[in-house]
Amino acid sequence: MSKLTIVRLYHDLLGTYGDQGNAEVLMHRARGRNLDVELVEVAPRQSVPTSADIYLIGGGEDGPQTAALEMLRVDGGLHKAVNGGAAVLAVCAGFQLLGTSLPNQDGVAIDGLGLVDASTVYTDDPRCVGELFVAPVDDDSTALYTGFENHQGRTQIGAGMTPLGWVVSGFGNGLPGAEAGARIPEGIVSGRVIGTYMHGPVLARNPELADRILASVAGVLAPFSDDFANGFADERRLALPK
Amino acid sequence: MPGRLRLSIAHKAGQAASRLSQVAGRGRGETIAGRVILGVDPSALHKLALGRDIVLVSGTNGKTTTTAFLARILSEGTDEKVSTSVFGANMRAGIASVLCSKPRNRYVVLECDELYLPAMCEALQPKVVVLLNLSRDQLHRTGEVRKVANLWHNHFTGDDVTFVINRDDPFLEYSVANAGHVLRITFGGRKHPDAATCPNCGELMDWSTSDYSCACGLGFLPAQIRADQRLSGPGRNAVLAIEAARLMGAVVPVDVQTDLTESAPDRVSMYLAAGRTVATRLAKNPESWRECLSQISAKQVILSVNARGIDGRDTSWLWDVDYTPLRGRRVLCTGERRRDVAYRLSVQGIDVQIVDDFETAAATFDEQPIEAIASYTAFQDLAAIGLGLTKAVTGADR
Repeated sequence: MSKLTIVRLYHDLLGTYGDQGNAEVLMHRARGRNLDVELVEVAPRQSVPTSADIYLIGGGEDGPQTAALEMLRVDGGLHKAVNGGAAVLAVCAGFQLLGTSLPNQDGVAIDGLGLVDASTVYTDDPRCVGELFVAPVDDDSTALYTGFENHQGRTQIGAGMTPLGWVVSGFGNGLPGAEAGARIPEGIVSGRVIGTYMHGPVLARNPELADRILASVAGVLAPFSDDFANGFADERRLALPK
Repeated sequence: MPGRLRLSIAHKAGQAASRLSQVAGRGRGETIAGRVILGVDPSALHKLALGRDIVLVSGTNGKTTTTAFLARILSEGTDEKVSTSVFGANMRAGIASVLCSKPRNRYVVLECDELYLPAMCEALQPKVVVLLNLSRDQLHRTGEVRKVANLWHNHFTGDDVTFVINRDDPFLEYSVANAGHVLRITFGGRKHPDAATCPNCGELMDWSTSDYSCACGLGFLPAQIRADQRLSGPGRNAVLAIEAARLMGAVVPVDVQTDLTESAPDRVSMYLAAGRTVATRLAKNPESWRECLSQISAKQVILSVNARGIDGRDTSWLWDVDYTPLRGRRVLCTGERRRDVAYRLSVQGIDVQIVDDFETAAATFDEQPIEAIASYTAFQDLAAIGLGLTKAVTGADR
């Protein structure tokens, strides 16, 4: 394929939790395969390009989250990109705003972008904070994704929706899926759109997920091994509570 | 029991606990003494503060150095005795212990944890409160920057205290928006990485210059003092300390002031590890890492990072820091989260290697100088082995 374009959305607003590193990891792993790749920064109030390949949205505070949501709604570019087949990775506040409904900074439910079938509520339960371990769905390359979660909202994914994985340890979406059963879903996968609560940044801690996103837009990837990445990912997996 | 008697018993019990703690080798005993004092007399803080001139220092970065600095200026610039915090014990117990140790000292300069500041203002009735800065730190504990700013904003409404603030930080300007007396100091403006939106109204702020402005009016009030734009983080904090000392009644000669701001204390500790001296700085969050990285001059650098509670259990923030100042240097990563740091640096193209512990890192370098940056508990581990200057590091950096 021609040049691969990665868009980092509103880093100034949704950069509280280090998720901007996801862009650097994707760039690093793409370049490691000699792919021609560029990173486009989109600042608040700049228009969102509609023809890029991968869009990254991070976590942030409630106020900036609401501000980002309104800008994306008015801009409309992200919708067009998703309809055109672009991949999206949205973390925490970014994941919540892709959904159908979420609380604003005053706790009042507002409409999300509706790009994925997931709705977020605040409950009186304590904040979900700590290491998160997830058994991936539809990814045979690893038995475990890991991340660090830090969120108040609980997210219900719609009936029939596929989570990114099932919680092994931690909170994840914090609410059971629509199907009965004890398993708690983490995140969502809807076409090429992925939402997750995992920080870390998630792609630094899970090279397999980074490659999965790259492959979803660039096709089969050439082999690439990074000892620093693998050593880090393995160590975090070993931290799973026994 | 009468109030004074209860306080006296509390004080004696605290001293005994402190001695026991020292004998048992559990540290210097300040915090345990404070806990015992507060356990015996819950209103001890208020009683011990009565009739004394108290200044509190809070903010994300620079509390300990600024507190030490302010205490020094007050001792040298007045005829009064000064009590002050030691080793960053900045919560209720540590503060109680300082107040108790020399109850007749008129001045008390206290470092205060951000979350405890409103309660300490209430209990201690300080004359001056110095607010240094607010940026993201220990997200799992403190919460987001805006939560701290809101807590302060809602509490700082009286006119019986004077706030001394760096007004270039919009979170501080918002924190004191309802306070009666504020001394605003500007350093010519500085982009704040966490303040894209206004802490007051939530709209996008205008950062098109180095300063901020917002349609809601935040930041429109002029600063009373314009300080040198080129000052480093410690230098900026030194200016705040000097102005706070003046408000407390100290006389600070102009040449002393110039000297203090230009050679502001930078928290560097010299450790001897594997026969090599390592100049080590403490860095706790993205902002303090940026400051420390800008000070690095050695070709050999050790980074030691842990993720225990006080370090922040989430290491994602490592990706918020630009490590360009490390280009062209040889970097060794150690500490419990050495792999996090090493991977982050490798992605930025920096020459990096992972080693098991601090001593091995120092031994790996065959020339000096060597500089190190350590996260909070990694630094504490080094300090526990030998407080002060150039003490031997014998154990592993666990």
